[in-house]
Amino acid sequence: MIIIGEKINGSIPIVAKAIAERDSEFIKERAKIQAAANATFIDCCASVPEAEEVETLKWMIDCIQEVTDLPISVDSPSPAVLAEVFSYCKRPGLINSVSMEGDKIDKIFPLIADTEWNVIALCSDDTGIPKTAEDRLRVFNNIMAKAKEYGIKPSRIYIDPLVEMLCTSEDGIAMNVEVISTVRNQYPDIHIVAAVSNISFNLPMRKYVNLGFTVLAMNAGLDSGILDPTNRDMLGLIYATEALLGQDDYCMEYIGAYRDGLFSKPEAK
Amino acid sequence: MSKIEEVAALVEKGKAKQIGAAVQSALDEGCDPVEILNKGMIDAMGIVGEKFKNNEIFVPEMLVAAKAMKVGVEVLKPHLASDATGALGKLIIATVAGDLHDIGKNLVAMMLESAGFEVIDLGVDVPADKIIAAVNENPDTKIVALSALLTTTMPAMRDTVSALAAQDFRKDIKIMVGGAPITQAFADEVGADGYSEDAASAATLAKSLV
Repeated sequence: MIIIGEKINGSIPIVAKAIAERDSEFIKERAKIQAAANATFIDCCASVPEAEEVETLKWMIDCIQEVTDLPISVDSPSPAVLAEVFSYCKRPGLINSVSMEGDKIDKIFPLIADTEWNVIALCSDDTGIPKTAEDRLRVFNNIMAKAKEYGIKPSRIYIDPLVEMLCTSEDGIAMNVEVISTVRNQYPDIHIVAAVSNISFNLPMRKYVNLGFTVLAMNAGLDSGILDPTNRDMLGLIYATEALLGQDDYCMEYIGAYRDGLFSKPEAK
Repeated sequence: MSKIEEVAALVEKGKAKQIGAAVQSALDEGCDPVEILNKGMIDAMGIVGEKFKNNEIFVPEMLVAAKAMKVGVEVLKPHLASDATGALGKLIIATVAGDLHDIGKNLVAMMLESAGFEVIDLGVDVPADKIIAAVNENPDTKIVALSALLTTTMPAMRDTVSALAAQDFRKDIKIMVGGAPITQAFADEVGADGYSEDAASAATLAKSLV
């Protein structure tokens, strides 16, 4: 499972405070613990007004790159900001994100076409977030047409089927499952990503909903998640699910992660 | 780290993908193939078995180590005398009649092979006469190892040991038994020469019987 560590995000109040105060130690610490927890990418989102965003993101990227070599997931709703910031990173990472909304893709895809950057593409367009699986898949097909046009291989694309809160859904995650499995069947080597915790908004004991969603989505073909890599329950469950899905010969990854203390309770001394 | 220590470390970690190159590189450096086998592999598996007995590692870790050793031995084989890999002698292993379980038996077979036996695996649900025939075909057999995983197949194990005991070759072979319902007391009662409770101990036991 590809894990995009979500803990450096200005929409988290304590992180917003650190960003406002330019508390680099705080940002570094969050980068370090996520790296230690085996994150694949470190997401970096400023969540500040667009006028300050480029400068803020560059400062955050500096903090992260000072303590870890992990690639960064540059997270901004603004294609202009993404375009300006991504090349500031030392190594290719992940653009978070584009969609079929406006000219986002046409701005970003040509910039990364000849690079090793990966990109998250949301299944939304100018109509907003489509209500049906059929419509989301239509958006997905449009994304893939653009990818082809700009020469971006499926293996560099992370499709986000858009996870919405369970409490207002009428069919649980049936629609997500349909989108994920259809995408997975059409493009075996594409990545499918979800912001897992969106599923549990407005519900008590959110972690159970997050865990349940992750198992079911992985079963459908999800291979990456934007989540907290230091959440031991989630990590243990992810490793176990990969093994259960036959993606872990002899459970060696599971055992290895246990050995590394990624989800095991520390031994009582 | 010497080349042989590298091989040993890869066996212990069960790195089947990397071990071939490491063995080759030890050979290229002029290491003695027998030394690579003994120090780099058999001793490493001994450590793995020890760790398993002490609950420091899990069954799959022991399995991948044995698998890695197998891959390494394939690279080594052309450089070894034909009998070097089964230096401790021939050992026949089977799950007794009526019992279809093979996971434990396979694990024991792997550990015995890793310990230096030439293992002849007759599979599962093996009637006594088939085991007797195999010993007759391989008169240099040193040990017959029998597995039973069910209380309902314990009688078949008893009958198999009795059938072996009635043969002329009984004095030339040792019989060891194991499996979930089997105990030392049961092994003594049916007349086996040894019992062990897990695959790693089975390797130690077999070595002590020859």
